[in-house]
Amino acid sequence: MSGPREVTRPATNRTVGILLGIGRVAPVVLSICAASLYAGCFGIKTYPNALDKNLHVHTSTDSGSWFSRVCAALDIHRVGENCVLDYVGTDQLADSKTDVGTPPNRWSYLVFVFDSSSFLANRSGTITSEMLLKPHTGSHYEIAVRYKDDMHHVKILEALPHQSAAREIEPLPLGTCQLSSGPK
Amino acid sequence: MNRYHVLIVALSLLALCGCVSHPQTAEEFRKAVPAAFSAKVETFEVERPFGQVASTFQKMGPSCLSKTIKTTSQTTTSYQVIVTTYKPTVMVTGKKAELHHQQHHEQGVLSVSKESDGGYYLLVADAQPVTQTKTCIDLYRPSMGHSVLIQAVKNLASGENIGCPDLAK
Repeated sequence: MSGPREVTRPATNRTVGILLGIGRVAPVVLSICAASLYAGCFGIKTYPNALDKNLHVHTSTDSGSWFSRVCAALDIHRVGENCVLDYVGTDQLADSKTDVGTPPNRWSYLVFVFDSSSFLANRSGTITSEMLLKPHTGSHYEIAVRYKDDMHHVKILEALPHQSAAREIEPLPLGTCQLSSGPK
Repeated sequence: MNRYHVLIVALSLLALCGCVSHPQTAEEFRKAVPAAFSAKVETFEVERPFGQVASTFQKMGPSCLSKTIKTTSQTTTSYQVIVTTYKPTVMVTGKKAELHHQQHHEQGVLSVSKESDGGYYLLVADAQPVTQTKTCIDLYRPSMGHSVLIQAVKNLASGENIGCPDLAK
């Protein structure tokens, strides 16, 4: 019978047994934790980035602490009739530079998402910065996305075709679409 | 403590909550802050023309501070989700620019007193010209917490390191 044998097993052997058990379980647990963390940043529908790359997103994030992290991402919505939004997908801004293709001469609604979480406080939050954009054919857009010292900032420069200099453009709120005759 | 005592304490707390009233307007907020335990008035000058300060308030205030934020916090015994909507208001006249910031908890926090339209007042910043190149800021703000918001409003006024605050912090 296993019961009495376990009772008479020396304590050191039991400890070793538990440690061996942990040794077997630990990789599984760690994998689950890693997957959870990964999903926290990357668990959303990926944007089918198939069009010509006209947005060049330069990302810089700094949570300011070893015990917290910030993930930046870009949600891209199609703007339909009557300014109805249709979520297309998310592009993770994990690298310092990400090239994104959005349809030219059509309104897109860009939502820059900053997910922050603190390991020690077990606390998480999300803040977004949104803008409407209708890229011109042949134009390129340099977008600087910055999160530092608990502040975020998104700056967009437009370089028209055959023009070397880029100019800063103001982010347009969604209300702009509703005020205009509607998206084309 | 028996049930009777618990009932008395609960009723007393409810009655006390009924007595507590929050400012319903920005002007009431300004008057209440100096005497408030958890708020203070901070006055400072920035080396910037009034017009620029007002313009930054108008440009950045609505886009940066009009947010709905969801935060989750978890301990071994609790899991809390709070959804808060922040509403900025910017008013500019020839000699004064005002930035009001209100918060309304959509979920996770119980309101114990009457809220004004748009939520409880959290902060009011008044900008007034001193000289052609200097502007005076009166900041009516919380004295505890909300440091990110306060710093962001100061940056909007000074024009340095302008950015949108992470209101989830």
